[in-house]
Amino acid sequence: MTVEKKFNETVLRLVDEDITLMDVDAFVFYARTDLQLGTGIGNAITMRGGPGVQEELDKIGTAQVGQAVLTSAGKLKAKNIIHAVGPTFQEADTESKLQKTTVAVLAAAEKNQVQKLAFPPMGSGFYGIAPDQSAQVMLATISAHLKNKTGLKEVFICARDPRDMKPFSARLQAMS
Amino acid sequence: MASRPRSYKAQKVIDRLGQKLNRQVVGSLAACVHCGMCTESCHYVLANPDDPTFAPAYKADRLRKLFKRHYDWTGRVLPWWVNAQSVYTDEELQELKDIVFGKCTNCRRCSVNCPMGVDFATFNRMARGLLVHVGIMPEGVAAVSKDQWEIGNQMGVLKEDYLETVEWMSDEVVDEMGDDKAAIPMDKKDVNIVYTINPREIKYDPRTIANAAKIFYAAGESWTMPSEGWDMTNFGLFSGDDDLGGAVARRVYDKVHDLNGKILVMSECGHGYRSTRCEGPNWAGYDIDFEMESSVVTMLRYIKEGRIRVDKSKNPGAFTYHDSCNFARSCGMFEEPRELLNLVTNDFREMYPNRAENYCCTGGGGAMSMAEYTPQRLKSAKVKADQLRATGAKYVVTSCHNCEDGLNDLIKHYKLDMEVTQLVNLVAEALIVDKKEAVAEVAAKAAPAAELAGYTILVVDDEPDMREFLTTVLEDNGATVLTAADGDLGLEMARTHKPDLMTLDLSMPGTDGAKVYETMRKEHDLKGIKVCVVTGKPELRKLIYDRDIQRPEGYLDKPIAEDSLLLNLRKILEVGSEKS
Ligand code: SF4
Ligand code: SF4
Repeated sequence: MTVEKKFNETVLRLVDEDITLMDVDAFVFYARTDLQLGTGIGNAITMRGGPGVQEELDKIGTAQVGQAVLTSAGKLKAKNIIHAVGPTFQEADTESKLQKTTVAVLAAAEKNQVQKLAFPPMGSGFYGIAPDQSAQVMLATISAHLKNKTGLKEVFICARDPRDMKPFSARLQAMS
Repeated sequence: MASRPRSYKAQKVIDRLGQKLNRQVVGSLAACVHCGMCTESCHYVLANPDDPTFAPAYKADRLRKLFKRHYDWTGRVLPWWVNAQSVYTDEELQELKDIVFGKCTNCRRCSVNCPMGVDFATFNRMARGLLVHVGIMPEGVAAVSKDQWEIGNQMGVLKEDYLETVEWMSDEVVDEMGDDKAAIPMDKKDVNIVYTINPREIKYDPRTIANAAKIFYAAGESWTMPSEGWDMTNFGLFSGDDDLGGAVARRVYDKVHDLNGKILVMSECGHGYRSTRCEGPNWAGYDIDFEMESSVVTMLRYIKEGRIRVDKSKNPGAFTYHDSCNFARSCGMFEEPRELLNLVTNDFREMYPNRAENYCCTGGGGAMSMAEYTPQRLKSAKVKADQLRATGAKYVVTSCHNCEDGLNDLIKHYKLDMEVTQLVNLVAEALIVDKKEAVAEVAAKAAPAAELAGYTILVVDDEPDMREFLTTVLEDNGATVLTAADGDLGLEMARTHKPDLMTLDLSMPGTDGAKVYETMRKEHDLKGIKVCVVTGKPELRKLIYDRDIQRPEGYLDKPIAEDSLLLNLRKILEVGSEKS
């Protein structure tokens, strides 16, 4: 069952997809401040997308929590990757930092005329943000953004794990 | 008196400790009478007799003090009396990290030797979890955890690489058996057995998969491998992260449930077995509706039920058995592997002490991924090396992939003339199938002579004997071989000739092999060249786990057997998307 909601002309949809295989204008990678792709999804980007993404990141250098930077997506289907540095491991003010990071992603997407954008459940899993907290902050921030003028047409949240899918799905369904 | 300020992370650790305390942990924290009976149980103590900081009770006291200070009334009221002590700084948390990750493999040998029932390993694991929760952990632990969280397996194997590798092995088995029915089924529903493995098998030792397939085929089993949830290992056991433990276990269970499999069979992996069979249902809060079994039990059943026949003379030589801490001490699998080993070999020699009293391979508890503690780990392996040497055996068999790596490292470090293998390899070797002549190792023997034709391979090794061995084997199999005797020349030749693959010795004089590897991964024009690391140096296992460098496509321990070399090189060249 696909869960989706429409905000004005934009669809916000939950999908059980591998984010690095999405055919979108941009997808979001939950990045580190040193902008090293590392393991996990970073490893999938390197393996499937080639070394170019890391090379672009190396030129940028570093980024701070709450910032988002854009690179190409190498050989991946997506055109771009938005590397968003969010809060990790119970750090102070996780919620407001996560919101700020989500806002930074949306701003980067608008600036680069992104129409199709895919998010992961930001910070959930390895970085220890509770899936429900991630769902609450992301959905509130994204929906607020979509209620204003936007170039975004489709926004996906790729929740492969049931522990993410459940809270995201419940919260999205409960939204008016 | 003004209270001492506490760092944000230290406070989080204390808060989390309160949430994690359960009866078992509190019992262990409270019960120690400091009798010292556990001290000599620990391999770290035996290797460091003059350093009291390695004693289980000392390590435990670091946590006990914290518990007493915050969660035990005696410590809250009279902290000086019960030696209660808090943590205040991130540096103190780092020190704690070096104890709970670097000075203990969670092997539980001290636990079974404590008359008071103190299970130090359990609360050491809990302490690891407290630190991981605030992001304090060895880099290798972070790298592996992230792979398992996000890719679904500990080695970051992508789905296409997994599927291609299994298909490749499947073709090998079909060829060898001369029967299409020997193919490895993928995602077949309503089967008797769903077979799950350790990603190390896909990445660095695929012959165990082919060998298991041969055994299932010979037994006429209805079985499948799953396309998702195939990794039955679980880094949550090592990192102390119950959330990861639950998420990983659930993926495996969900897939078995979807496939309507009757028995979930796990290949030989100690911590995988313990996690999936024993701990996972709790971590995941899962109602299991199928049976679970180790492949050791499955293979033993086949022989006892007459479903497969074996000829023990196919496995000549003297064998000993190493009990994996998780498989044996924690899950009670003592007799089954021995029974099976005796059925497929003629000369089994017990190792002493054994079963619940066996010493850790020293690679347990995730230690293989923590490069920074390698010298300490290898030092602590002396007792294990002495145990192995005393058996006089040529082969040490173990039902655990972690132990396999741990033992391989210490065998090199202590210069033992031994090899490590698993029961699945011995059972496959001993199999009697109707097409008798067909039953050889799936490995290179099955490969026609020109399997490497068309590939250019650059051999970088400072040992002339090794260069000659590699050149001969590779040329005999059709490859064009270039050689370089040191790292600088190797890099130069790689730039000029752009080979398909480089075999790289890591322990060469001059430019360090690890540095050469780093250059291969960082220099734009070299990134596309696949690398198979060939090493006799356990310290360099870190290349598999370091987070910022892409893992090598292959990793072979010296000495290398010809069949294993060919199988692995062919796999690297023919399978996978790792072409960057
Ligand atoms: S044997 Fe048990 S009671 Fe004695 S020191 Fe060790 S943990 Fe404490
Ligand atoms: S669990 Fe093993 S490694 Fe850890 S203290 Fe006890 S005996 Fe030593």
